[in-house]
Amino acid sequence: MKRRAFVSTSLGVAVLGGAMPLGLAQAALAQAAPLAGATADPGNVLVVIQLAGGNDGLNTVVPYSDDAYHQARPVIGLDPKSVLRINDRIGFNPALAGLDALFKDGKVALLQGVGYPNPNRSHFEATEIWETASPDRPQQYGWLGRYLDRRYPNGTKPPSPFESVALGDTLPAALVSAHVDVPAIGALGAFSYNTGRDLASKQSAGVLYDGAKAGGSPYLAMIADTAREAYHGGDELRAKIAGYTARATYPTDGFAQQLKLAAQLIGSNAGTRIIFVSLGSFDTHAGQRAQQDRLLGLLGNGLRAFYADLAAHGNDKRVLAMTFSEFGRRVTQNASNGTDHGTAMPIFVIGGAVRGGVYGDHPSLTDLDHGDLKFATDFRSVYATVLQSWLGRNPSDVIAGSFPTLPIV
Amino acid sequence: MDVSTKLDTSTDPQVGFRPAGSLDASSALAPYGGHFGPRQAAHLLRRAGFGGTPDDIAAFAQLDAQRAVDAIFHASDPDGTFVDYPPELSTMTAAQYGPRKTAVQLWWLDRMLRTRRQLAEKMTLVWHNHFATAVSKSPPEMMAEQIDLFRLQGLGNFRTLLASVTRDPAMLVWLDNRYNTKQHPNENYAREVMELFTLGLGNYTEDDVREGARAFTGWTVKNGQPLYRADLHDAGVKTFLGRTGAWTADDAIDIIVQQPIHQRFIARKLLESFVYSDPEPELIEAVASVYAISGYDLAKTVGAIIRSNVFYSARAYRAEPKSPIEFAIGTLRTIGATSIPPNLPGVLARMGQEPLNPPTVKGWDGGPAWINTSTMLARFNFINALIATNTAATKTAPNVSPDALVRAAGGFDAQRIVQNLVATTLQNDVTGDVRTTLVAYLDGTNAGESTQMANELPFGPENYQEKIRGVVALTLNLPVNQLN
Repeated sequence: MKRRAFVSTSLGVAVLGGAMPLGLAQAALAQAAPLAGATADPGNVLVVIQLAGGNDGLNTVVPYSDDAYHQARPVIGLDPKSVLRINDRIGFNPALAGLDALFKDGKVALLQGVGYPNPNRSHFEATEIWETASPDRPQQYGWLGRYLDRRYPNGTKPPSPFESVALGDTLPAALVSAHVDVPAIGALGAFSYNTGRDLASKQSAGVLYDGAKAGGSPYLAMIADTAREAYHGGDELRAKIAGYTARATYPTDGFAQQLKLAAQLIGSNAGTRIIFVSLGSFDTHAGQRAQQDRLLGLLGNGLRAFYADLAAHGNDKRVLAMTFSEFGRRVTQNASNGTDHGTAMPIFVIGGAVRGGVYGDHPSLTDLDHGDLKFATDFRSVYATVLQSWLGRNPSDVIAGSFPTLPIV
Repeated sequence: MDVSTKLDTSTDPQVGFRPAGSLDASSALAPYGGHFGPRQAAHLLRRAGFGGTPDDIAAFAQLDAQRAVDAIFHASDPDGTFVDYPPELSTMTAAQYGPRKTAVQLWWLDRMLRTRRQLAEKMTLVWHNHFATAVSKSPPEMMAEQIDLFRLQGLGNFRTLLASVTRDPAMLVWLDNRYNTKQHPNENYAREVMELFTLGLGNYTEDDVREGARAFTGWTVKNGQPLYRADLHDAGVKTFLGRTGAWTADDAIDIIVQQPIHQRFIARKLLESFVYSDPEPELIEAVASVYAISGYDLAKTVGAIIRSNVFYSARAYRAEPKSPIEFAIGTLRTIGATSIPPNLPGVLARMGQEPLNPPTVKGWDGGPAWINTSTMLARFNFINALIATNTAATKTAPNVSPDALVRAAGGFDAQRIVQNLVATTLQNDVTGDVRTTLVAYLDGTNAGESTQMANELPFGPENYQEKIRGVVALTLNLPVNQLN
């Protein structure tokens, strides 16, 4: 109780004046009684937002008062007058007005300089590293998949088939699990046995799958079971979320519409607790400003509508959203007015229960590692925090190694 | 435990299955000389290719098992049927990564669909999954060349194949061997060659990885082509897998293939690709010895497997889930499609197997990992979009004629049409209940309401096409059709 008061006081300072050094925050946390995992509310929802392609952190949270920034980016650097100021050193890209509004409401923790040792600059491998939380060796299952496997051991099943959901056509590596079947829902319409107008055919398919007998190869029984679940799953999902009406106006783009579906899943009795959403294409090697600003606009405006909708339904305090990207980008702009693959980046953790503010210092633009930013906070600390403080799971059950948690929730 | 090595050829439509157990090793690999009808022919064509067309199955069912395999090995395509490189690539700009990738995917899928040399193309897919290289890191142009390499050498000599893969630009990029130099060794390729491609985890030491990496130095990529640079090669003495010398990449490959554990590793891989998962140790040993005695000849080894009693055993029959590519191409071949729907690469990604893009260097996990509710719906809706709801999908569906499958039945006799359909497409591997449901659908006697006129009329000329499409889709969406 006492420590809690200390942290929020410190954060009050952080929001107003500058950043609380993460080390100090961690030290404060370490003195306190550990946040018992078991106390995490079972109704807590985690929304993971992937910024695919490698989001340029320096034009997201802009070190506008740093001369080195403007020297490195004479063309693509943001005008200090245009940024949405957080403090006298950093400010949001104006495309992030939606996120800035949430930040001013105290709902955003901005974690600066997040990365990991020996960063990988391949999209594919770096994405794997973030999604499996395993920089050193390949892992078959994702960090959330491993969480699900620990949570549902020995063939137990989640109470709802929609407890964890990937919004998109493919299951992200983060949610690949050994034992739990996570549906990937690209669009509600596609998550359905579709026979167009021929409802008799759909009806007959139901008869066939319901009547499918076990026997033969062991796979036949499994396939018959899965066919039955898949056949009914779409209708079941639609029935569960039918009563929900959005109480915010969402933008019409695909990302915002996925957040709308996420709010619907959260606000109805689908039992959804983990959602993965992806926004592309941040790989801005050329003509960065137009492309990244557009995407950041989608991110900020989508999130603002999402949290307005959640708040109107009284759900904002139990929904924690966090962003990640496979890497940030190089400090110096390239010859095509873009940026190449880099390293550390800022992460946003958003929600009504979040202790808003700035955590950690902005990475130095002069003390670089081969032209790239040095990271200050290991991304596995962010995951460990989410696992322990939000999902109520001992991080060491899921992540190899020991990483300090952060006082952000 | 008794494990029959003979397929149950009775008329009982139960899908045969017997649990794993000890095996009569002396007869398991002996050439199968038993009954060879439509079920055996369809099984062979599913495993040694992407599934037979109804005409293929009928023609093969007239042969015996040995002559059927002869026909598979002697198949050829008329000159000029295919090109060895997607021609569109030369006109696309570097920025068009997505279109370039799609062009290579469609080029390969088309070959799977139309080639008479089905086994060569199936082996290409087996090696794509084995030497799992992904277009997410290696450019589409290099991937096309790697696929063509598997096509040309996939049934040749494994030692030669591995030497070619070691020089293959897509692989040099994928596992970073292009950066592996005397000055700065990169162990990625040396490690995966042993762990995933030839020996398996636990059959080499970390010293072997380090020493092997030294042997693999010097191979780089320039202008998309492999380049050997002697100045980057570590010409020193290495001790690799217990042998000491100034080994080159090819020396290391020679040493690897001579390991008995490698021979068993490849034997297991081929058995799992063509017969069933978790093969018996005696069976692995028998195939490993064919492989070793043949001097790593893949055609001889695969040939021995698909000619054998165990290949036609009840344990092998419809025992594994079809991969998405097997399912999709098999379906298109069954319904007589002559071209690939342009959206197929994306549809396959939703099913969990985007061609050219295996998820890791280990390839696709396969088996039960193929099957979950999302991938199952992707499979169902692929069939439905292709066949059942033809009006909505005419833009993307190839010109298919599902009614050809039941033409022999003639008329509007629902019983006869269903008999014909399940015989042609599923070799009668269904139960009586399934037939009853399919007949009820055609007759309109199932209780379903419908907004479609077709279902308010008795089965007849007015609704024939719609009903036939519906019943073909229902049949191909049966769980048993998900099994290879």
